[in-house]
Amino acid sequence: MGTAILVENLGKRFDRYHTAKPATLMEAALTGLGRIKPIEDFWALRGVSFEVAEGEMLGVIGHNGAGKSTLLQVLGKVAHPNEGRIKMRGRIGALLDLGAGFHGDLTGRENVFVTAIVGGLPRREVARRFDQIVAFAELEAFIDNPVRTYSSGMMMRLAFSVAVHTDPKVLLVDEFLSVGDLSFQSKCLNRIADMKEQGCAIVLVSHDVGQVERLCDRALWLKQGTVVAYGEPAVVAGQYTMEMRSQTQQRTPQRPPQLTQMGMELRVNENRFGSQDIEITDVRLKPKSTIKSGDLLCVEVDYKTHQPLDSAIFSITISQENGAPCLDVNTLDMGIPYIRLQEEGTIRLTLDRLDLVGGFYFVNVGIYQQDWSYAYDYHWHVYPLTIDATLSSKAAGVLCPPMRWEAANSEVNAIVQPLKSCSWHSK
Amino acid sequence: MILKRTSNLSRQKFPTQNLGYLYDLLRSLVDRDMKLMYKRSALGIAWTLISPLLQLLVFVFVFQVVIKIDIPQYSSYVFTGLLVWNWFQNSLFQATGIIISSRPLIRQPGFPTVILPVVVVTTGLIHFVLALPVLFVFLLIDGVKFTPILLALPLLQLIQFAVTVTFSYFLASLNVTFRDTQHTLGVLLQFLFYLTPIFYELGNIPPRYWFIYGLNPMVHIVTCYRQILMWGTQPDWLALLIISGITLLFLPIGYRLFKYQSLRFVEEI
Repeated sequence: MGTAILVENLGKRFDRYHTAKPATLMEAALTGLGRIKPIEDFWALRGVSFEVAEGEMLGVIGHNGAGKSTLLQVLGKVAHPNEGRIKMRGRIGALLDLGAGFHGDLTGRENVFVTAIVGGLPRREVARRFDQIVAFAELEAFIDNPVRTYSSGMMMRLAFSVAVHTDPKVLLVDEFLSVGDLSFQSKCLNRIADMKEQGCAIVLVSHDVGQVERLCDRALWLKQGTVVAYGEPAVVAGQYTMEMRSQTQQRTPQRPPQLTQMGMELRVNENRFGSQDIEITDVRLKPKSTIKSGDLLCVEVDYKTHQPLDSAIFSITISQENGAPCLDVNTLDMGIPYIRLQEEGTIRLTLDRLDLVGGFYFVNVGIYQQDWSYAYDYHWHVYPLTIDATLSSKAAGVLCPPMRWEAANSEVNAIVQPLKSCSWHSK
Repeated sequence: MILKRTSNLSRQKFPTQNLGYLYDLLRSLVDRDMKLMYKRSALGIAWTLISPLLQLLVFVFVFQVVIKIDIPQYSSYVFTGLLVWNWFQNSLFQATGIIISSRPLIRQPGFPTVILPVVVVTTGLIHFVLALPVLFVFLLIDGVKFTPILLALPLLQLIQFAVTVTFSYFLASLNVTFRDTQHTLGVLLQFLFYLTPIFYELGNIPPRYWFIYGLNPMVHIVTCYRQILMWGTQPDWLALLIISGITLLFLPIGYRLFKYQSLRFVEEI
């Protein structure tokens, strides 16, 4: 297979401007042109080299601001590199901001034509493939309605469909799996696989290490514009995950063991990790650290911030003694992107009922940096939780919801009493 | 410094850049603009005619009824000027904001950004051509006799096209750095409107102002249109030659500047 993309020693520099850079002719006339010049520059990409063969898929991972989007821009020739060279064969297609080019007042049909021609297809080809494009997007019934009447999902589907039907030799993708529902996503994946088979080279930028590991043939890890690792996806993904963890470890300052208010010992890098910019000062389980299955549990986390920080992610997990997770919740995933941090404060998680089987558990509490890049403080296997129930954790399952057996025939409906009401036996 | 860096850029060839494809692209973008313009208006494309006709009405009222200006075939005279000027003004005004408003297109890999002002000016040209029959009706009513020199009309349109595109490249580029260019341009164009013989005669300009008044290319272009459409005389070939020469000189510079600025706009973080 031939090489579709060859990138050698790529570098892209950005200028940083004076904050008071005049933005209007008026201002420029008043303040003079001196501030128009950049005051400094920085390299968004430096010394990046890789190769993608025809029919191969490269996954690019890295933190926010690592240069992933810049790389896509440079590959798409919408930004010009300052160093190095790129060789690419064939037409480039892109799945970036899907649907942004659509005009709401035009019908789906009109938008498909404009977008596909802009994407590089001659008019006659668009006419030929039109039905295919619409069928793929499953929008046959709506194609002559103005796009402003579409839902955002419909718009994305149409945009995706146009983009994958322009027959690019190189496809640039930015987090594409967020298109539509699950069935459409698997359709997209199939289509991508087809394109690969036909020799299309794909560059996928993703936050999701697992996705890169599953889909890509090679992976590239970018950090502050330079390549940290490049090679087998499993290896690169592993290194990336390791680094994430060790970043937390490196940031964990050495300090003597501390005692929690319940008398458990906190030892750094054993059951406590994190940079300690925010410290978990106490964790209380209410009403008690021994509850009955199905009862309410409140986890109160006291924290203290040592540095002015904007926000953080609070995470609480409940795990069994052997570490197997039973519950994993955090503020970000539950739709609370911003938490106003106080110097000292308390965050409470209320579980209206906790239907776990009886046994010993731990409540693990963590406070993380806003993009999960490292932990501020994480207490692991420190706070024990005991649950009483008739079902014990010796069975394979972890759940113990209210339940009862019934025969479908109503005459024998009282063979077994509801389990919950049996619990008095154990008293 | 800008030019040194852009010369680098202009070397990069887009794979899809052949003439047939460019024609398709131009056609679909012009088509889109026309549709967008009239999609939600009841009168649709008729607006192309209504607005210059209303302007004409105002000028005829003011300068034939209120203040008398003695120009023969006044409505033909003003309507010619208005059509030519409106094409110029509307195109410039729209093209100035084109980089900012076409972000998704510019981000599309391989999209030839430099086509954007051409799309705007072509859309204007179509409106101009659609209004021509009405102009001819005016000319006929005013008793104008058409001569073969009328065949120079497409050439004149081509020159105006090139001049407008050249201006558009520079203005759109400037608008990336200074976002108020569009507002400033509105005022400037109004100035220029009065500094172009649209509703008055060229002969009214005192000769001592000519050296500066004549710098406005639209003065010559409007006059040439009248020469071939109304008066049946040879256009001012010398003026047209000079304008074409200057345009040919600045068009490639504007082209490169535009390309450079549109890339810079997308790169901005």
